[in-house]
Amino acid sequence: MPTSMVVGSSEDDIAEALTVARQLGDAVIVAYGNVNTGSLAEYGHKVYHVKADDPESVFLAVKQVYDEVKPSLIVAPTNKNLKDALSRLSGLYDLPMATEVFNVKVSGSSASYTRGFLSGRALEDDQVPLPAVLLIAARKVPRAQKSQAKGEVVELQASPTVKVIERRPKERGGVNIETAELIVSVGRGFRSKEDLKLAFELAEALGAQIGCSRPIAADLKWLGEDHWVGLSGHKVAPRLYVAIGISGAPQHLAGITDAKVVVAINNDKSAPIFKNCDYGVVADLYQFVPVLTKRVKERLHR
Amino acid sequence: MGDIVVLLKPALNPEMIRGTQDGSVDFDYMPLKLSDIDRNAVEEAVMLRDQYFKGSKIYSISVVTWGPASKRDKDVKMAVQEGLAKGVDEAYIVEDDSIVPGDPVTTASAIVAVIRKFGLKPDLILAGEATIDGFSGQVAGRVAVKLGLPYVSFARKVELKGNSIVAERDVEDYVEVVEAPLPAVVSVTREINAPRPPTLVQIRMASRKPQHMVKLSDLEGVVTPKRRLAAARVLAVKRKQMMIEGKTLEETADKLLDALASEGVIKA
Repeated sequence: MPTSMVVGSSEDDIAEALTVARQLGDAVIVAYGNVNTGSLAEYGHKVYHVKADDPESVFLAVKQVYDEVKPSLIVAPTNKNLKDALSRLSGLYDLPMATEVFNVKVSGSSASYTRGFLSGRALEDDQVPLPAVLLIAARKVPRAQKSQAKGEVVELQASPTVKVIERRPKERGGVNIETAELIVSVGRGFRSKEDLKLAFELAEALGAQIGCSRPIAADLKWLGEDHWVGLSGHKVAPRLYVAIGISGAPQHLAGITDAKVVVAINNDKSAPIFKNCDYGVVADLYQFVPVLTKRVKERLHR
Repeated sequence: MGDIVVLLKPALNPEMIRGTQDGSVDFDYMPLKLSDIDRNAVEEAVMLRDQYFKGSKIYSISVVTWGPASKRDKDVKMAVQEGLAKGVDEAYIVEDDSIVPGDPVTTASAIVAVIRKFGLKPDLILAGEATIDGFSGQVAGRVAVKLGLPYVSFARKVELKGNSIVAERDVEDYVEVVEAPLPAVVSVTREINAPRPPTLVQIRMASRKPQHMVKLSDLEGVVTPKRRLAAARVLAVKRKQMMIEGKTLEETADKLLDALASEGVIKA
């Protein structure tokens, strides 16, 4: 009898979750949305699939499998749809649930893990009794290997009460900010969308990706959410992070704790970013950034 | 229309973090404050009441996660009073040292227990998408399923249409417009509104509004915490904080690039 359940909508996510889930033995997979179930079956576990990907449908599918299999551990990636879907499963059965966890260890009747705490300013080590729901942090564990055996694929149906009237895909610029080595990041110090070109030119000279703070992606929508660095956006780990016109709200700083070197350029010398950077330049970005770009180009081509 | 319930968490204030000698989080030192996104939830409750629920009441429910009550009581009441000042009519506070440090299992079951015990009949339950201390965003979903209500998460716009809500929600890959029948549970993001600070008159009025202190023995069905917080340590990110200045912008740029080159992060 399988002892754990993995939930996800992409093979990468599911393969990472399987690595954690297999600590406990055999697993079942609940996949949702547009995913290749044939390829998932090659991991050797039974695959349940629901075509819908709205949180309520995912919850209904997960509940159906949970009731049948009664797993001791549910492992999934951390994303918004699953935070929603699995909070419902957890609420229904009073299961402990945690998000963005890593260092997961399962022993006997309990699991332990580490996760960020206090808006990224601390880490907590927790222990919870099984059954438990763990939403793991991305790219902290290797992907599980496929197996010789092929799992059975079962299609599930769900009838949600919340109706989706309209859906718009989010703008995706094809960037993967989480793996970028160099990042030039922009904030509210820029007065218009057009002005961001100053940062784009610096990024191009450095060979860097573009990041941004919450207001630029979420409020003003000058850039897509794949550029958003911070607690609710993406956590980044570049060797160089250049924050231009970013004041340094705690939620933003939580996203850059793994950056090796942080540079801040801001005209407000009391901005919190200066307490959280390695090198700070108090200057009007409109004057300084073009000069910096010019010097980068000149020095790189010496 | 029925009433509105808004969930308010007195959360540990991450900006006031301090470590003990061994780098552990010094919980005794850290004050509580109303969790940031809960302000948006209250604001939305007030705006929806004024627009659609004239004459309805707004109740807040808070479950104290961080104890002990003897130390936290003042912070808890301050956080809850902020909600009252912003427009909440009556507040329920579950404060009991036998359920601290709490977890989402306990918080959600206590919220549901308060709703049942005091006969609240909300048409809408509003919460922030997550709290600034734990940031796991699961209490609203738990409450919804326990009450058997539809749940709309990550809402950044909410309107009423007849006996339904129409909300724009911000999920992983899509922005979706969804419709759910009332009563419903909705979690909101920061983008949904710009919370107005309460006026002096509102702040003065707040202390006269009812605050009901609730003990575990008053409630039924509260699940004791399952999470054991084994350790919490301050994440020490040491930054050099070197300010770079030059006589001209060119000189400043060069000094900065010299520093970055010597760190080995760029070749320029």
